[in-house]
Amino acid sequence: MTTTERCNENRQLGDLAARAVVFIALPGALLVALGILMTFKSDLTWERFLRGYVAAFCFVLTICLGGLFFTILQHLSRAGWSVAVRRVAEALAANLRWIWILFIPIAIGMYKTHLYEWTHVPPDDELLGNKEIFLNPTFWMIRAAFYFAVWGGLAHFFLRNSIAQDADGDPKTTLRMARVAAPAMIVYALTQSFAVIDWVMSLEPKWFSTMFGVYFFAASCFGFLATLILVCYLLQRSGRVTESITAEHYQDMGKFLFAFGVVFWAYIAYSQYMLIWYADIPEETTWFIVRQLGGWRGLSILLILGHFVGPFLLLLSRHPKRWTNVLPAICVWMLFIHFIDMYWLVLPEYPAELVASVSTYPQLIEAFENGIDPATGIPWLARYDMHPHLADACCLLGLAGIVLGLTGLSVRNASLIPIGDPRLPESLAFENF
Amino acid sequence: MTTLPIDNTFDDPAQRAPLVLNHHDFGTVTEKICSVNEARRAPRAWYVAFVISLGFLGIFGAMIMYLFATGVGVWGNQNPVMWGFPIINFVFWVGIGHAGTLISAILFLFRQRWRTGINRFAEAMTIFAVICAGTFPGIHIGRVWVFYWMFPIPNQMEMWPQFRSPLVWDVFAIGTYFTVSLLFWYTGMVPDLATFRDRARTKIQAIIYGILALGWRGSVRHWHRYERAYLLLAALATPLVLSVHSVVSFDFAVAQLPGWHTTIFPPYFVAGAIFSGFAMVMTLAIPARQLWGLKDFITLRHLENMTKIILVTGSMVGYAYSMEFFIAWYSGSMYESFAMLNRAFGQYAWAYWIMVTCNVLVPQVFWFRAARQSIPIMFTACLLVNLGMWFERFVIVVTSLAQDYLPSSWAYFTPTWVDLLTLAGSFGLFMTLFLLFCRYLPIIAIAEIKHTMPEALPHGHGAAHRQEPTA
Repeated sequence: MTTTERCNENRQLGDLAARAVVFIALPGALLVALGILMTFKSDLTWERFLRGYVAAFCFVLTICLGGLFFTILQHLSRAGWSVAVRRVAEALAANLRWIWILFIPIAIGMYKTHLYEWTHVPPDDELLGNKEIFLNPTFWMIRAAFYFAVWGGLAHFFLRNSIAQDADGDPKTTLRMARVAAPAMIVYALTQSFAVIDWVMSLEPKWFSTMFGVYFFAASCFGFLATLILVCYLLQRSGRVTESITAEHYQDMGKFLFAFGVVFWAYIAYSQYMLIWYADIPEETTWFIVRQLGGWRGLSILLILGHFVGPFLLLLSRHPKRWTNVLPAICVWMLFIHFIDMYWLVLPEYPAELVASVSTYPQLIEAFENGIDPATGIPWLARYDMHPHLADACCLLGLAGIVLGLTGLSVRNASLIPIGDPRLPESLAFENF
Repeated sequence: MTTLPIDNTFDDPAQRAPLVLNHHDFGTVTEKICSVNEARRAPRAWYVAFVISLGFLGIFGAMIMYLFATGVGVWGNQNPVMWGFPIINFVFWVGIGHAGTLISAILFLFRQRWRTGINRFAEAMTIFAVICAGTFPGIHIGRVWVFYWMFPIPNQMEMWPQFRSPLVWDVFAIGTYFTVSLLFWYTGMVPDLATFRDRARTKIQAIIYGILALGWRGSVRHWHRYERAYLLLAALATPLVLSVHSVVSFDFAVAQLPGWHTTIFPPYFVAGAIFSGFAMVMTLAIPARQLWGLKDFITLRHLENMTKIILVTGSMVGYAYSMEFFIAWYSGSMYESFAMLNRAFGQYAWAYWIMVTCNVLVPQVFWFRAARQSIPIMFTACLLVNLGMWFERFVIVVTSLAQDYLPSSWAYFTPTWVDLLTLAGSFGLFMTLFLLFCRYLPIIAIAEIKHTMPEALPHGHGAAHRQEPTA
């Protein structure tokens, strides 16, 4: 452990954990409250507020789930380089132990509002009627409880063992975590896929795509790795772990972000879109049609440029991945675009009546932009176009604040790097060449 | 070089397991690996295998001749199963051809140093598998004398391939993959070819290996250029590993046919390809290490790592099977549900359950360390995985086509003897090329495997810097 002792850096969060609660988490909670208040006071419907809330929840959930995936992957592959940054991932994943509290508004919304169409299926809708065995409130809640229990349990296991190893440095702990990691990865893949089917895909209950779980997984890698880099940077700016985490680690995190978050995401997103576009089966194209209309169209193009093209060019070379002043700025952009991705997944609503009333695509565009819903007299644009609301921003900043502010609590008494890990010397001495 | 353990399958997080066993130094590594090719006579088993492979290659040629002379009617392909064995075999062989580039490119980028023991012949296998794969669409087109119509060659008839068809994308995808894999394989081999040149005992050998070695002298400048080229090729080859089988999956997934059109196909095909490719690498590696005594370089740990990759990719394939099944029900589409239920319980249920047993159930033995370290078990499991992956393509191609939307055109596909012999013959082509490779080219990356030895590390232990790496 000579390499471990050589450094005289600050490896404790100290009072930063408490300060983060007061100055980040608390304002976050207030912002969410403000968003709820806004909904009471304005003509914003609860369904619309909750859609924004679901997007924000997905944003923080993907970051924490990404942390869990990263932790499991490092144990599974016996990685050496990543040990110095693994505690941050473990701490982010540990939020999964209590993140169900933030899910409560969605659960209430499912029962009390029309957020999920399948909760109030008209008797003549055979298609949705047949899905009721799976999409019904009770089973949906049981599944949600199961997902949170599994994620919380796994995150707790990895964090607890890792912190216990800080004290005794027992190599058997590493082996135990590696053993658990293999089945954990399978459980993770299944729970994550079905959670996103339940919470996001079923917002449009008639639509389906086998790739959806994988898309969400790629997005969670993107969100998490950007957060990981940013948190490491902020910790170092605050004078902590200044020597353990080096440009070499940033470069490797950047590579991961490039491969999984940028390129793999684009590959999955492209494959899903292209296959549905090419086969052109009406029951599948619904989901993308609305995302090609009005403001959503702009958002889709922004995703291509801002989620793939831009980050691809920025991260391709090794230099930006090692410039610790540039990389965090790129990551801030990435977190923004990650939220846009979640917003794009959750918010658009399929205008079924509008599509039924036209026969060609140009007619659809024309009707969407200028037409009026004959049943209600409201322009289609008013209901189905993108209308960002301040409450969305409140939800996003609020939930992000709550999660980031409380992340420190789980490691407030522990070291910021796993000092007992037998592979730590390898990680500290690690160089890219 | 004092106390290298003979067993490197231990699990000690504080220590990385040695990848070359038995007190080798740089010199003996070169000696041992070169001895495979320098022996005056190959082992008897090699001759036996070579004769059998040539026999099957002959069958392959004869079947193709018969096909050309008679027409594609000699196959079982007919309405509605227009894509029979040729496409199944094509997808099967392309899949096999994925492990090599995965090992050489992706595992290289992931710094998996154990890849050095197996990358060379996995890459060779990739190239031969792609050659086998490329043969099938070529002979499937009916009028073989206009095969060049597949390529966009400017012509006075202004006739172009249909660029909107994934079959044309295939031509490009496979062509690119083959080119880059070949370059990668060859670039990596240059230092070893120079070793062969320097050790050549006949004039002819010296000339041939000399030309192939491109004037390699092992100078620092050469190494610098070489490492850079290798890294660049690895980075370029990585997206290709994903793209090739994704494009192959598009052949199916862009269609509106239930069982073909599903969005998870691209990553699912890639995972399946790596799965089958690794199974084939092991099928070849296990006899090869036995035959030429290469157990110090392809150690039990290498094999164990490969079984783990088979378990991982097998799980991904299992995930895709389940997701397809679940979404077929969830979609509420009767055609989708029918396609899935028909696969599992219809007229091809036997093929489906062979597939599930071999691809999903069999790899589960690798959860147990004893199975991961038992040569007979892993060899059997890998053979079964190869079989299962062939049947996976059979299930996808045949079940969906045989019973689609229109019950009046339903039919049962039966392969002819020409189909079966062509498939068997393609193994002859593959094995002949592979056996020739084993005899005349370095089957383990001599220069690269030395990088993993303690002497190569900066501040290494023991007799560091004893010899030049290419010596």
